[in-house]
Amino acid sequence: MSDITEYKDVWVFIEIKDHVEVHECALEILSKAREIADQIGQKLIAIVLALDAEQYLPTIEDYGVDKIIYLSHNDLKHYHERVFTSLIYNLIDKYKPSIFLFPSTEAGNALAARLAYRCRTGLISDVLNLELSDDYGNNLLISDKPAYLGNVLVKIICPSTRPQMCTITMGTFQKKKLKKKDVEIEEVEYNYDINGLKIKILGAPIRKDKPSSTLSDAKFVIGGGHGLNSKANFDKLYDLAKYTNGQVGGTRRPIMNGWMPEHLQIGISGETIFSDLYLSLGISGAIQHVVGITDSKTIVAINKDPNAPIFKVADYCIIGDANEILEELLDHYRVPE
Amino acid sequence: MLKIFVLIKQVPYLHNLEIDRRTGTLIREGVENIINPDDLYALELGLSLKEQYDGEITAMTMGPPQADFALRECLAMGVDHAILISDPIFAYSDTLQTTLVLKEAFDNIKDYDIIITGSQTSDSSTGQMPYQLSEALDIPLITDIFTMEIKDHDFYCHRNFGHESQHIQTGLPILVRTQRHFNEPRHISLKGIKRAFEKEIEMYNFDTFNCPDYLDGCNQSPTRLVKTEKIILKRKNEVIDGTTKDKIERLIHIMQEHGIERIWTGMSQDE
Repeated sequence: MSDITEYKDVWVFIEIKDHVEVHECALEILSKAREIADQIGQKLIAIVLALDAEQYLPTIEDYGVDKIIYLSHNDLKHYHERVFTSLIYNLIDKYKPSIFLFPSTEAGNALAARLAYRCRTGLISDVLNLELSDDYGNNLLISDKPAYLGNVLVKIICPSTRPQMCTITMGTFQKKKLKKKDVEIEEVEYNYDINGLKIKILGAPIRKDKPSSTLSDAKFVIGGGHGLNSKANFDKLYDLAKYTNGQVGGTRRPIMNGWMPEHLQIGISGETIFSDLYLSLGISGAIQHVVGITDSKTIVAINKDPNAPIFKVADYCIIGDANEILEELLDHYRVPE
Repeated sequence: MLKIFVLIKQVPYLHNLEIDRRTGTLIREGVENIINPDDLYALELGLSLKEQYDGEITAMTMGPPQADFALRECLAMGVDHAILISDPIFAYSDTLQTTLVLKEAFDNIKDYDIIITGSQTSDSSTGQMPYQLSEALDIPLITDIFTMEIKDHDFYCHRNFGHESQHIQTGLPILVRTQRHFNEPRHISLKGIKRAFEKEIEMYNFDTFNCPDYLDGCNQSPTRLVKTEKIILKRKNEVIDGTTKDKIERLIHIMQEHGIERIWTGMSQDE
């Protein structure tokens, strides 16, 4: 094991989304990483691998970096596990960063896990907060992350291997513009032979946009559960959403009942929402759903069972028939002919 | 014959989870253990491949001796063999240490074609293991598949990758990670239960593999848990009383406070 005191600086992997723009989550992480770098008096360095990577550098420079290291090549248009892992591993091996942070996305999670294996270091996924502390070692990073389906929060350290690696979910930190003077830019030459890859792509890939949900961006989310009793009643949520500029989502049950498409699920295996108001109708409040709604500023729950667990996480509790209240709301908000 | 391995984990059933206030760790006594729910999809895929290609399927887990019960359940569902990797020295292994132990196990097994995993465990929820095992064994990891076929020791499938749908080919061995709701996991039959107790579970420990010294869950895991806290969600919990009319008036008021107004869509109502 190499000497951990050789490792310095805070690195952030800058994911390029759909080969058109810098992923928002990477900018959010840069802002938090800037604070950490200042506290330990080291540099904040952004790592970019892309096709025509130069076009993204001005955006990245606006978020407090001291330095950008980039590779630009046609083979880097899409994330490729073997190519990205090898190229970035070479950078780690050469420069020895102390901390390396990644967006918690499909590519970010994959890349971070592979790199952690190659470095034989620890990786903490979906971190909710990061702080530096001397409690367990000099300037050690302490990561908070949820475990047991969001029932508990654990604090994890990586005391004796480097880099200290984490993935961070979108919306965890706030991005803040900050321009440093004299940002250093370093281009690293691309040198990967893609002929040795084991997976062959047969035929032209089809661009396939997954059914995207805008739940995570919605200001007002209306959630429905099994308590709505029928598809006809559940459909009324869409009417309410139309009149109030809301977004419909729900629990697992409406999907199983065939009332709602899968991509509108809120919770542990679906979306997390960050709305100003979440209105829950006929939802009992299983923990699998609750973990997806707790980032909402205000939660209103309507359920006829006064003991429904959803009330424990609600700001306003309405004990009553969700269908009856939904009908009244529609009467109020319905656009007159 | 196609050699299929399914990796499973025994996890606590997450109902009324409590934390010991003195030690800050989870109280595991009296908590029922189950097969990690996501792993059931992996098992189902393995069993259906066995039926389709006349294969042989092994369920494997690493855990304490009582994890043998989870393997019995797999045997009851129809797997042919079960392997339990268990040694006090492997306790407290984090993802990296677990991956290193699994690598030793597969290097020892040598003959494997498809290794299948679920997407995430419900206890530690890191989701890292499939990627790390792919690195460790230097075999491709295929995720998010929707059709698959095996021909002449080659694996063909359609998968979603980023925003593309791809048709790909790769040689075996491979790792496949199943996504949730990918299939309909089967139930255990009475005949299955009988068979589960007739079969033997193969035991692997530190000495089975001639393990390198760095396999030591407690001392060599790079990550260390320093604190566990139960998440307490602070909310107002104000109960809105009164008649239905009162409740609705208050609700509309709350919605107004949050900037929610009736919007004019410019469209007539769908009736």
